[in-house]
Amino acid sequence: MLRKDAIESLAKARNGALAVAIMQSEAPWHDAGQADDRYLDVTGCMGAASSIGLGLALAQPDHKVIVLDGDGSLLMQLGSLVTVADSAPANLYHVVFANGVHQSTGNQRLPAQGKFDWCQLALSAGYRKAVSLETPADMDRELPGILNSEGPVLIRLAIDVEEDAVRWPGSKMADEVQRVRAALAA
Amino acid sequence: MSAPAQVLARPVQGSALVEEIKKLGITHVLTVPDSHQKTVLAQLAEGSSPRLLTICTEDEAIGINLGLYAGGQRPMMIIQNNGLYAGLNSIKALSFDARVPLLMMIGEFVRDPAVPSRESRSRAVRMLEPTLETWGVPYYKIEGPEDIGSLARAYHQSIEDRGPVAVIIGARTI
Repeated sequence: MLRKDAIESLAKARNGALAVAIMQSEAPWHDAGQADDRYLDVTGCMGAASSIGLGLALAQPDHKVIVLDGDGSLLMQLGSLVTVADSAPANLYHVVFANGVHQSTGNQRLPAQGKFDWCQLALSAGYRKAVSLETPADMDRELPGILNSEGPVLIRLAIDVEEDAVRWPGSKMADEVQRVRAALAA
Repeated sequence: MSAPAQVLARPVQGSALVEEIKKLGITHVLTVPDSHQKTVLAQLAEGSSPRLLTICTEDEAIGINLGLYAGGQRPMMIIQNNGLYAGLNSIKALSFDARVPLLMMIGEFVRDPAVPSRESRSRAVRMLEPTLETWGVPYYKIEGPEDIGSLARAYHQSIEDRGPVAVIIGARTI
């Protein structure tokens, strides 16, 4: 499925959850009107989205946290699956946009494509649940139930490779961090 | 017969450091374990506040630090010198650029307490202070019990500057 369609489906299901996005999910999340005071872009640190989401989830156990991660990004800090599972935050939903390439740097292939399974990795690391969704219709049907189940849950999305689709939102993480802090303190 | 080597870094009680950490109101201690500070870690592991979390990598710990801070908590990190080198890009992005306080207690793994850090035969020890200086990370040194107050100064500086501050632990804690 196209990334923008997956983003639209996530936006519909968000329901006020805190959100963190990294790399090529950032700009479409802004386009979908979701870059509010409960949201952080992760800039300049591939792989960090799941850890930032974990920190938010531990800090705010009464709020759901959705992490929009990339497969290339998560591979850079794969141990974070184990770290997340160790804390087992019931409010964390880890979405992996899996297109098999490093889109931000020109669609270079990721290692070992087809040789491992994201859902199996998450489950063997200790996530409570892992699901793979292939189409926007699957997402619209399944997401409300998934986001009402106990986390941590990994949601792997089958995303098409797109050419010349690299965009950045131009936001400042420093501003967003303070905005989120203020919103949560209010 | 040569004179005995002068000891520069003297051990600090782990319990005294834990007491300081508690006084600061730290809520979470994120660690990629450090043998130099193992008595600190052991005491933290016995209690429930602050919460001790063992993390797979320094990169992850720095990310969790940001998330906890954004969520209104007061986290800090305990790592070793090698871990500082491993986490530099995350410090750049998730503390400096994101303007997030990051208090790091860094053990000088394999340091000979009789030798100044910069003269150590170990690259891990010798390069720590120059690395922090190159990156513009302010640092304090705890070389003995009289330096323990540096931890509070470092914490308040990290909050005020909204950036990283290091506290270097020169000798193994006891």
